[in-house]
Amino acid sequence: MIPRLTHIVQLMKNVERNLFHMFGYPPKELALAYVHDYKPATPAKKFSINDIVGDGFLLAVPKFRRTTERKLKRKFGSPEYVWKMLVPKNNIKVCETCGHHHEKGRLCEHCYSKVKAETEEIQAKIKEKLGINPIEHDVVVLYQGETLPDEPKEFWKGKRIIEMKKERPQWFSKNLLQKTTQKPSKSTDVKPTDLA
Amino acid sequence: MNQADVSKLVSKLRINVLPKHRNLNNPKGPEGRIDKLRKTVTGLIKFERIELNYNRADEARQYAERLISEAIRHGDCHKPTMDTANFWLLEKELIHKLFKVLVPRYEATNLSYTRLISAPQQQYGRHTDKAVLELRGNPFPDLMNYKTNNKLLIQNVLLDAAKQDYKQSKINEIANNIGKKGNSSLDKSSKNIEVPEKPTES
Repeated sequence: MIPRLTHIVQLMKNVERNLFHMFGYPPKELALAYVHDYKPATPAKKFSINDIVGDGFLLAVPKFRRTTERKLKRKFGSPEYVWKMLVPKNNIKVCETCGHHHEKGRLCEHCYSKVKAETEEIQAKIKEKLGINPIEHDVVVLYQGETLPDEPKEFWKGKRIIEMKKERPQWFSKNLLQKTTQKPSKSTDVKPTDLA
Repeated sequence: MNQADVSKLVSKLRINVLPKHRNLNNPKGPEGRIDKLRKTVTGLIKFERIELNYNRADEARQYAERLISEAIRHGDCHKPTMDTANFWLLEKELIHKLFKVLVPRYEATNLSYTRLISAPQQQYGRHTDKAVLELRGNPFPDLMNYKTNNKLLIQNVLLDAAKQDYKQSKINEIANNIGKKGNSSLDKSSKNIEVPEKPTES
């Protein structure tokens, strides 16, 4: 019963509206604005990494696969250029003087350190004596207890005689059989000098 | 051909000279390089033995050899030589040394005037090729042992003779004892002959 009634009421309302509408009522300015639900096709947004990352940051990662050859080259190097494997050295020799090992074609580190220290000591002494005067004579290095070669005293005047305040190191010995630091004997035999 | 070897009449250095010089990196270019080498040559003449990088040493060595050989050839009354010496030796007292000390020292020699030897390389760290550059006849201890194991060296000849004498005397001693005391003494002395005490050899 009630639906039929509402139906009739609805009909009546329709008629009423149509009638009013025919005579220009209500005015169009007051008409309800009708919005159709149609959306125009928006252009597809381009993919951007920023959409994913946002405020964060990315770490570097490999983009492409490394081939086996490249991988091996990286790992072991190239024998012609840089070979990364441990290779035994064949150029090691035993020093004939001290028995330490050293590279062939180079000085022995052990012997050289000794020689270097002694050389620097002598050089410092020489430099001490060096003035601005012209250098006109060779240096004679004397260790403690050593005497000048037999020459008259006038010969040595003005010569550069460097006196080291210590005994001559044994490895720097001039003669093989006798110590150069020993006191000169009183014998009149002529001593051999500079044998080796 | 019965002709004199021309190359022996012309003066030449007794060292190996590379076909091309080394540039020796320097911000100032060629002038900077020469400045550097002048310092090195001066140092070499002054100290007689220096340790430095191999390339620079080899380069400086050539100039030093040339300087000394010119000094020997022309003497100190030759103006161009004097100018060269003045250019290469920054400390002027060394010019005197060049003409008064080094020229007499090397006049008669047949060898090069300098010696260049590779220094031991660092075992760890950055490898720099170092070398020791020295003038021959310097007063410092020898860098290398030049007198080992040479049988003909007079010391070794004498030592060998001394050994021989010692052995001979021991044998004679034993031979004398044989007649005197019989077998027992022979046994003792025969032990001695096996291990004769060697004279110390250095």
